[in-house]
This record gives sequence, structure tokens and C-alpha cells, in this order.
Amino acid sequence: MENIAGTKARLTWAVNLAALLLVIIWTVPTLGLLVSSFRDKDQIAATGWWRAAFPSTQSDFFRAGPAADQKQEGDLWVIAGNAFEPGQMVSAWGTTSKAPDALKPGEVADLKDGQQLTVAADGSYRLTSPTQFEDGRGMRIFFTSTQPPKFTTDNYVKVIGAEGLGRAFLNTMTVTIPATVIPILIAAFAAYALAWMDFPGRALIVAGIVGLLVVPLQLALIPLLKFHNDIGLGKSYLGIWLAHTGFGLPLAIYLLRSYMTGLPREVIESARVDGATEFHIFRKIILPLSFPALASFAIFQFLWVWNDLLVATVFLGNRPDQLVMTGVLRELLGSKGGDWEILAASAFISIAVPLIVFFSMQKYLVRGLLAGSVKGG
Amino acid sequence: MMIRSLSLGVALAALAASGVMAQELKFEPGKDSRFHWDSYETLKSQNLKGQKITILGSWLGPDKALFESVAAYFEAATGADIVYSGSTSFEQQIVIDSEAGSPPDIAVFPQPGLAADLAKKGYLRPLADGTEQWIKDNYAAGDSWAAYGRYVGKDGAEHMYAFPYKADVKSLVWYVPENFEDAGYEIPQTMEELKALTEKIVADGGTPWCIGLGSGGATGWPATDWVEDLMLRLNTPQDYDAWVTNKLKFDDPKLIAAIDDFGWFAKTEANVAGGVASVAATDFRDSPKGLFTSPPQCYMHRQASFIPSFFPEGTVIGQDADFFYFPAYADKDLGKPVLGAGTMFGKLTDNPASDAFIAFLESPIAHEIWMAQTGFVTPYKGVNTDVYGDATLKKMGDILLNASTFRFDGSDLMPGAIGAGAFWTGMVDFTGGKSAEDVAKQIQATWDTLGK
Amino acid sequence: MEQILFGLTTIIVGVFGCAAWFWGSNFLLDAALPPRGPNAGRNITRASMIRPWLFLGPALVALGLYLVYPVFESLWRSLHDATGASWVGLANYRWLFSDPKFQESILNNLVWLLVVPSLSTFFGLIAAQVTDRIRWGNVAKSLIFMPMAISFVGAGVIWKFVYDFRAEGRDQIGLLNAIVQSLGGEPQTWLSIPFWNNFFLMAVLIWIQTGFAMVILSAALRGIPEETVEAAILDGANPWQLFFRIKVPQIWGTIAVVWTTITITVLKVFDIVFVMTNGQWGSQVLANFMYDWMFRGTPDYGRGSAIAIVIMALVTPIMVWNIRNARREMQ
Repeated sequence: MENIAGTKARLTWAVNLAALLLVIIWTVPTLGLLVSSFRDKDQIAATGWWRAAFPSTQSDFFRAGPAADQKQEGDLWVIAGNAFEPGQMVSAWGTTSKAPDALKPGEVADLKDGQQLTVAADGSYRLTSPTQFEDGRGMRIFFTSTQPPKFTTDNYVKVIGAEGLGRAFLNTMTVTIPATVIPILIAAFAAYALAWMDFPGRALIVAGIVGLLVVPLQLALIPLLKFHNDIGLGKSYLGIWLAHTGFGLPLAIYLLRSYMTGLPREVIESARVDGATEFHIFRKIILPLSFPALASFAIFQFLWVWNDLLVATVFLGNRPDQLVMTGVLRELLGSKGGDWEILAASAFISIAVPLIVFFSMQKYLVRGLLAGSVKGG
Repeated sequence: MMIRSLSLGVALAALAASGVMAQELKFEPGKDSRFHWDSYETLKSQNLKGQKITILGSWLGPDKALFESVAAYFEAATGADIVYSGSTSFEQQIVIDSEAGSPPDIAVFPQPGLAADLAKKGYLRPLADGTEQWIKDNYAAGDSWAAYGRYVGKDGAEHMYAFPYKADVKSLVWYVPENFEDAGYEIPQTMEELKALTEKIVADGGTPWCIGLGSGGATGWPATDWVEDLMLRLNTPQDYDAWVTNKLKFDDPKLIAAIDDFGWFAKTEANVAGGVASVAATDFRDSPKGLFTSPPQCYMHRQASFIPSFFPEGTVIGQDADFFYFPAYADKDLGKPVLGAGTMFGKLTDNPASDAFIAFLESPIAHEIWMAQTGFVTPYKGVNTDVYGDATLKKMGDILLNASTFRFDGSDLMPGAIGAGAFWTGMVDFTGGKSAEDVAKQIQATWDTLGK
Repeated sequence: MEQILFGLTTIIVGVFGCAAWFWGSNFLLDAALPPRGPNAGRNITRASMIRPWLFLGPALVALGLYLVYPVFESLWRSLHDATGASWVGLANYRWLFSDPKFQESILNNLVWLLVVPSLSTFFGLIAAQVTDRIRWGNVAKSLIFMPMAISFVGAGVIWKFVYDFRAEGRDQIGLLNAIVQSLGGEPQTWLSIPFWNNFFLMAVLIWIQTGFAMVILSAALRGIPEETVEAAILDGANPWQLFFRIKVPQIWGTIAVVWTTITITVLKVFDIVFVMTNGQWGSQVLANFMYDWMFRGTPDYGRGSAIAIVIMALVTPIMVWNIRNARREMQ
């Protein structure tokens, strides 16, 4: 007994460890994005995200104040100030790009015309000259410093404050909900017919649906938009629902059918014997039992529609009043891309709703499974 | 200090007030005498009230707002309603929309290749008569510009299909003036001097160039700009035109020389920041940042006029960073060739209001409104260049206006499989170690399979 | 406000429309051919011949219009030139099979087909099994599932921070190179190493698809009857045997479904390659190759369609296998 208990404890450990390992591998890339979304553009390009939480060493320069800032002290003209943030410490500094770390904090550099510059460890500098400063722009002061970690929520403020995001959210919802519900409804009936009704050509239709799974979306865009234009549907919500329904159906039917064939035969047979109509069987037995599969597919279809940009721009258009969220986020990035910080923040904003859906659906997944006596496969 | 912030407050309040008053129009008509307001007034003779023009382009974000600020003048003067939408997948969308029969009235093509293709398939409408002559007369290097809007239509005859508006200058070398000062370098006036400077920087222990070809799926394109620029500096514009249409084969010695000349810059270990290996791997958006580091990773960066958007935040163009013209060889006598690009406006429907809009683009005011803001240069000779929003833009505009030869980005003119495929890949292979001959042969081989 | 009302109304109309069709048509059928009375037997036979088509009707119409019709349209276009005006016979296919880029795409796709579905299913199965047995299983599941919820654009950025390359000696911002460098290795340009870069692209799809496999397989695993498992434990099966000998065979059907679905996703994989390498450095795949010819530069819809037809032809073995499965289930 003890032996078994020991094995069991070890097994629990192993299972927990395996799960932990999987979770770490699967989340680390996303974690990188999350951390990056709280850093500014230059930080992202400068150091790896995993270093964001540690003090970093940085070599850069700042500018002394302009000539307008000078004050007269005795017979010296002085420009003084501090461009550092609290906690940032200078380890070396210099006055030209050729020798940016020639001097230690506190040392004094002699510049042209009797000017002198000194930089203290806390970054405060003092530039003195026997004559009045004339150059409008402050000189460059190069430094190497260590600084405490810094995070910002600016990226999120920028994304959430984007023009038209609220409108786009509504548009996305208007697109997503029917485009999720309608295919499921249609697919559930079709899947039932393909799983539990006997009629000629059934296997052929199943195979056909598998074949249609692989139709590349890009292929269908031109013929379908042409069709929508011809029947006067044009670019509209109705059009995009139909398009998403069409594109989502093969997977929906395929998944639901394979799930439904796994439902216990006896339950359905006995209901048929009792004289229940097919519609009744479907509604009272099949639907409740298939809930987990319906919920899983709902999640997938929801995610796919939510994250879609291609179908939305083609079938709905991208005028400001037609934009979906992915469209607005894409617009934020500008035409040339490269704003990784905005991308990072927007990825997390757009992921929020799908995750909420997943969490709330997951509850049903579990419940549906526990309630039904479902046979796998 | 107190007084300053107070006056700032007043200025802000004034700005806010004017913002409410002139929300539609950035610059109040008639006020600033540098603008050609007369061309705005003549616009008012047209009444297009209630007419709608849909425009599809690839401008997004700030560019979109800038274009809309120009369109607002057309709307205000004529009463027409312009609906602009931008898309990152512009190419795909315009193909789908025109094939499916729901095209926008006007499309803004980022390069002529796609416009030519749509013209050939019969989706573009010829522009009004006289447009071509207008471009020839009023644009600097007008013949070149006009040629980029002339395509063969479905009927087999050439027509003027696209109107060039908004140019990009590519022959620019960006640098940090203060770094040049610190090291005592002078701005090179000839290619010979540029090469000498490159060698001098290496001898001084620095790294002269930052070159990054990375661009995700489009990796390699920055190198095509280099090769095109050098092609124009080694060979005649006629050779360049022949090359773009493949009358001059890709593996011609003239072209191999240009590729090798790029290799002189990019394939010499000491010439590039991070060494040759990092050329293809560095993202073109990250590449210019090397100019601004401490100590500088490099002194020069050859890139088009748009690149300042990828400089570190707060960089003041003209002070923190500046550019000089990518010079020509003194001993070649090919003048001052300029490589550039431009966006092309094409009509896809018979909406008469579109003609009025294209005609509006011929008026100085349509250029000046954008010039006075940011990111716009024009080859239009009839504008007042004092309007340019900053000195740098004006300097770029001058390069365009003084160009003895202007040539469009060749990779944009080649068939997509080359200009947006084999040429890119070839340049990546070239920096990866392949010889110019091999790369050129490989690209020519791909070109040979086209149209068979 | 108008928008919300419009949205809500159409949602209700759409959903009720669908429901009304199924309920109404069944009601009419039952009314026309009542399963009782003198002709009950004949009526039932007739009704059961018609009923499947009522259930299937909307799906077949939608599939026919939105998928079958475009396929035939493409077949037609693949036999025409770029403008769609003149008939070129099999010229596009001849070009295709002699094109080196196409050969590269086919080879790459085959590697993808071998690696991605097997690894995704394998990891999905492991994830489903272990997360079902731990207390924080739901949290773990959500975290593993999360990549599915991220758009491809987002995924592109995420993996940029993994594969990014900086020259040796500089601060790496790509995780992989940072690890390599800290172990004393030389940083690599992962995405431009011919052939191996395919695997780095595949990693992204596996990362995304594992969540899918896990959710489906977890549902199946939980559906295995308690008695079967208990019986096996009483027989002295150890956990490994229990999992591989008892549980896996029980859900074999579901594993096949997951495998098929991921295989098909692989055939269609486009965004990942498009965003990260665009098929350069020998990483081209069929779907991206098709996209190139359909929409990029000078589009040739004829050639693009020909590639699409090849992609669809590749799925034939899976179709055949599914027909046989469906036949077997009927008996």
C-alpha cells in the first residue's frame, strides 16, 4: 500500500511538473509581449524584455540647456541642470561622440574658449564659460549610466484612446455574434443528419465537407464579393455574416458530426422506439449532450471571427464607420509598421474579450461533460 | 518661467479656439500670402454638392490625416464629399474590389506596377485629355513622371491612367551633423569623396554605415534601392530604363557592376555596423537607430525620405539628424540622378467628380497644403517652396526640382515576381555571400520564366 | 445607438430565422406525412427520406454558394491566362510543375504536414492529460490555450521577440539568441537559415494549435466512462499503461479528428509565413505561394488558381480516409 501511495505522490509531482513545464514554454513568448507592452519604443529596441525588471546600463547622451537658460554667476556664465530621473547614476561621461566615456563623475572637462563642464554622479551638470553662451542649442553630454527599471502605461492609453475604437468595438460585436451563432445552428442540424440519419450519399457528403475544409479563403474572395455585388448585397453586415457562416461551416459540421457519432446509440434508438420525432430527439437529447462540442466550436469560431481582418475588409469595407477592431488597431500602426510597443498593447487589448469568452465557456465545457454520460471518440 | 508658461497657456487657448473655428481647413484661406489661394478660389466655380467620391489608398494613421486635410479644401470649395479609406492590404483589396465589380472611384497606388496591371485588365479609366501634357510641362523631369502614368489599356493602346502626386526621394544619406563635427568629417560632394570618407572612417576606427535589409516578408528591398541608385550613377538613364523592362538583361555586366558597387559598401566587414552578417538580419526600421547611439555605431545611413519616422523619439530633423544627396561619380558625367518614388492616383469609375478631383491635384494649393505640414515633397514647379513646413523638406524638394534625371524605383516597375520577389531574395543571397554574377543570373532566370 | 439596435435586431432575426426554418419545415413535414393513422408506415419511410435534406438544406446551400462555387470558378480560372480572357489549357499547370519555387513549396509543405499535426496533437494530448489531473488545471489550460486567442499579427510580434537577431556582442532582444549568447554560442539569424528556418516557423503554428488539440482532446478524455478506467486500475495497470493502452485507444476517433483538422490548417498556413519570412530563404509554402501570385505585384489569377487547385488536390487522401471512416460508422 505504502508503495502505491509513494508512487502516487511521485506521479502527482511528475504531473504537476510536466504541466508547469508546458505552461512555462507556452506562456514565455506571450509574457515577452506583455512586458514589452509596458515599455517604450526605445527601450524595446535597446534591451531584451526579460531585462525590463532589472536596473539597466545605458549609454546615451542628453543635451545641456540652451543658451537661453544661462545665468551669470560672478564673472562666469553658467548653464546647469539635471536631465536624469531619480535613481539613475552616471558611471562615466564624455563630451564628444568619439570618446563618450572618457571622464569619471566629478571630473572637469576643459572645452574650447575656456569653457568647462562637469557632471556629477547623479547626472547634474554644470557648464561654465567666461563669455556669454551664444549657440542656441545645448551641447551634447554623453554618459554611461545605470538606471532603475521603468514601466509605462502610455501604450495602452494610446491604443484605448484611439479614435473610433468604441465604434469599432460595436462593429466587431455586430459582426462576431451572429457570425458565431448562425453557423453553429446550421451545422448542428447538418451534423446530426450526417451522424444519425441513414440516407443515400451520406458518406459522399461527409467526404465533400472534409474536402471543403481545405479551400483556401483567398480563393473565394473575388467570386463571392462579385456575387454579393450582383445580388445587390454589396458590402454589408448581412454579407459578412453569410461569408463567415460559409467559411466556418465545414469545420463546424466536421467537428460536431464526429462528436455526435460518439454519442451512445442506445439513447437515440430507445427514443426512436418511443416514437419521438427526429426533431424532438435532436432538441431534447442531442443538443444537450453535444453542449461541450458546441461550446468548443463556438470558442473557435468566435476567435477566428474576432481576430479576422481579411474577410472584414473585403466584405464589410474599411471606411471609418465600417472598421472592425482589428482594422482600427492596424490603422494605429501606420502604413509602415515597426511600432512594436503599440502592437504589443493592442494585442493584449484585443485578446481580452476572447479570453473572457473562453473562461465563461470553459465552465460550460466542464459542466456539460460531467452531466452527460458521453462516450469518447 | 511663470510668464512663459502663462503665454504658453494663452497660445494653447488660441490654438484650441482656432481649432474649433477652422476644424475643416488647416490653413485659413486667403490668410497666409505664401499659398496660391487663387487656385483655391477658382475651385469654387465648380458645384459638386452632394456628390460622393470614394478613395482607397494605403495611407494610414498620420498620412491619412494629412491627406484628408488636403481633401478638405476640395470638399469645402466644391461641396463634394470625399470618403477616404486606407488599408494595409491595399494591393490585395484593390485587386479584389475591381475584379468583383465594386471598385472605389479613385485608387492611390503606391507604385505604378499594379496600376499598369489593372489598366491592362481594363479596370482603370483614362484620365482627362491634357493631363499628360500638364505633367510634362509642370513637373520637374516631367517626361519621366508622365511616363510612370502611361500604361497600355485593355484596347492595346497607351493612355494616361495615373496622376503622380506626392513624391518620395530615395537618394538620401542620413547622418548626425554633430558626429561629423566631432570627428571632423566633411559632407562628400562626389561618390569618390563618399568612398574616401568611408575608408577614412574605417581608418579612424569607426564604422561608416548602418545597413539593414530586414523587413519581415519584404526583406531585401532596401538593397534594391542601393543597386538602383548605383545603377543610375554608373550607367545612363536609358540603360536604367532598359534594365527595368528587361531589355537590358539582369546579368548584363553593367548591372553586375552596380551590384558589386553595392557590395563595396555592404560586403566589406569593417564598413557596416555589426559586420556583413547583420546586414540582411537587421530590420530596416531598427537600422537607422545606430546613428544615434553613444558611441555611434555608424556615421551614415542611406534611406528614403520617410525614414525619420523611425528615428528615436524627439529627434529634431535638420539639427539632430540631417541628410545629404547620395552623390554621383565625378568622372562619369551622368549629372545628378535622383531615385524616387511617388503615389499615383488612378480612376476606376466614370464618376465625373473624380475628374474634378484629379484636376484639383493639378492646382498648386493641393500641394502646398500638405507641403506646409510634414512628409510631403513634390516635383511641381508651380508651387511656392517657401511653404514647406521645415527646412529639411524644402531641401528634399529642391533635390527633386533640381534633378537632372529622375527615375522611379525600379523594383516597383518590374513584374511583381522580380521586383517584389527574386530581386529581394537575390540581394539577400548576395549579402549572404553569393557572387553578383550568380545572383544576377538567378534573377534573370526567374524573369525568363515569366510570361511563358 | 442605431447601430446597436440594428445589430440586436439582426442577431435576433437571424437566429430566430434559422430556428424557425428547422422547426417549421419539420412541423410541415410531420403535418403532411403524419407518422400515425392508416398510412403511418409509408409516411414514416417517406418522411425519413425527406427529413435529412431538411436538416442538411441550409448547410448545403451555404457550402455550395460560399465554397463549392468558388472552387469551380477557380478551376475555370486556372485554365485561363492572367486576365481571365483567353483559354490556355494546362499551361498554368505546366508552368507550375517546372517552377523551382513550387517544388520548394511542395517539399516544405510535406515537412510541415509531417511535423506540425503530429507534434501539436502530441503536445495537446499531454496537455489535456496533465491539466485534467491537477488542481490548477483550468488556469493551466487557459494559459496553453491563450496563443489561439492572439491574432496572427500579434503572434508575429511575439515571435519577433524570440527570433530577433543582433550582431554578436550586442544586447540581444530576441530570447533565443540571448540564450545562445549567454551559453557562449554565436547568435544566429534563425529565420534565414535555409531548411531549418522551416522548423522555426513550424514552432509558431505548433504553439498556436496545441491549445486547439488540448481543448478537444480534453473533452474526449473526460468522456471516457469511469468503469473502463476503474477496471483497468483494478487489473493493475500502471499510469503509463492506463494512458497509452486504455485511454488513448478509447479516444482514437477524436485524435484522428484533431489530426485531420490540424493537417488542413497546415495546408492553408499562410499568415505565419507571410508575416515572418514571406517564403524567402527557402521557406515558401503553397498557400503563401498562391497568395503571391493572386495578389502581389502583377497578379496572375490564373496561376494563383492553379496553385489553389493543387492545394485542394493534396487533401484527397484525407478525404478518402474519411469516406471509409464514415462508411464504417454507418454499419
